[in-house]
Amino acid sequence: MSSEDTLKNLKRINEKYQMFHAMTDDVSEDGSKFLFSAKDNLTSKDMETCAGSRILEGYHPVFDATSIEKLRNDGGKLIGKTNMDEFGFGTFSTNSGFEIPRNPYDLERACGGSSGGSACAASVIDDHISLGVSTGGSICCPASFCGVYGIAPTYGRVSRYGLIDYGNSLDKIGVLSQKATDLKKYMEIIAGKDDKDPTSMVQPEFRTAYRKTKSVAIPKEGIEGLSKEVESTFKDAVEQLKSMGIDVDYVDMPSLKYAMPAYYILATSEASTNLARYVGMRYGHQEGDHSLKFDDYFTAVRSKYFGDEAKRRILLGTYARMAGFGGRHYAKAREVRQVVINDYKRVLETHDAVLAPTMPFTAPKFSDISKMSALESYKADYLTVPANIAGTPHLSVPCGYDSEGMPVGMQFVADHWNEDVLFSIAEDWEKQFELRRPEVSI
Amino acid sequence: MDVKTVQDVAKFAHLALTDEELERYCKDLGDILGYFELLNEAPGCDERGVNPIKVEDVVREDIPKQEYDADELIKDMDTYDRYVRGPRLS
Repeated sequence: MSSEDTLKNLKRINEKYQMFHAMTDDVSEDGSKFLFSAKDNLTSKDMETCAGSRILEGYHPVFDATSIEKLRNDGGKLIGKTNMDEFGFGTFSTNSGFEIPRNPYDLERACGGSSGGSACAASVIDDHISLGVSTGGSICCPASFCGVYGIAPTYGRVSRYGLIDYGNSLDKIGVLSQKATDLKKYMEIIAGKDDKDPTSMVQPEFRTAYRKTKSVAIPKEGIEGLSKEVESTFKDAVEQLKSMGIDVDYVDMPSLKYAMPAYYILATSEASTNLARYVGMRYGHQEGDHSLKFDDYFTAVRSKYFGDEAKRRILLGTYARMAGFGGRHYAKAREVRQVVINDYKRVLETHDAVLAPTMPFTAPKFSDISKMSALESYKADYLTVPANIAGTPHLSVPCGYDSEGMPVGMQFVADHWNEDVLFSIAEDWEKQFELRRPEVSI
Repeated sequence: MDVKTVQDVAKFAHLALTDEELERYCKDLGDILGYFELLNEAPGCDERGVNPIKVEDVVREDIPKQEYDADELIKDMDTYDRYVRGPRLS
């Protein structure tokens, strides 16, 4: 679908796939060089920004997130804000206060989360790039389910200014696209220092020159618990990598199994403090009963507008920070983060990247997701969480399709600041991989 | 996790839970925290950074400036006489 067609058909595309929560009213091409969309937890001047939460309904930011501003300054036209799990809390984009995006390959299935709308837009619209945000896997998971390329860069590589926080020590802004080459092209635009985000100020030069990949390491812990179809598709992809002249070694990374609980302790602890600001004042819903005392007023607004998963994570994070439990688990979670980082660095001393399937299964049906417990849903993140807790850059490429035609993804992880390694592998992969586009009819 | 603990945590977090929510979150949090006991067997480490990368020497001098127009900032806020409206304190 061309840019002109896309703009003309934007509403019809969205009716079918539900990828956008807000869309531009301006359908003129107005000389823009490219169209892009952005996850709805990135502030935008001209569109409502809700981060998937009803508590922020009606919030119209007065400034653009740095990543959006940079793309606009480079000639990009923001066409929509993409649907997502509330504040990023989910694996399937079904925990939204608004619309739930539909998988481009099967409308009865999820897009993955939490940047599900972004992956859907990147999959359905030609020559489109979408900004996503990853805290525990929210770029690579939906990239895998929607059959597109997606990169979450090193923590601190892209300014988080204008990002509605989930977990400050974990959040990373990245790019999703049908083309591996686009990841590099647009990451070059949004990466860089920004004195409005101190964590972006320590980054070294953003390298993009090609580096031939010599070897990758597959952790044994990363190939456990896979569905049969993901397992066999991944095996074929590994054989393909070998035929490309890349050495593949199997290694032990015992710390990976502790990453999931450590991630949820850290992420929910940070989220529960970040979400304390949403009390029915200043932005979003503010129609509470002002005759109530402040505790009761805050409680009434928050209880009414936070969704089920947001409440669960606030409770979990609040408990994790309390004396007793917190002293035991929060401190340990921070230690585990360092142990995971050390494990990656040890393996990456002798390999260019660490490789595993991105998700243990292909995009599930909505009817199956509704039967999953909270813990089962959290456990589904075990392959994407380690790189996120370590802040290491990671990139998902489509690597095959299951018997029902659903995409399978595999994820490469490189050392801190080595995004160039990932771009090189992905571009080599893209040259020989036949991407099956979904049938887009509106 | 017992009901009383979840009630206490919810109060602290400014959440009022229905009976159905209370029952559900008790079970969910019990399952989740039970699984997280896995951390007890995880290896420890002397380092406990706040961020996954080293963030240091990034503090700049504060420069007072008004980047956004005040009226623009409060345009969607519930205000009274250009003050943000809130609940009573007592």
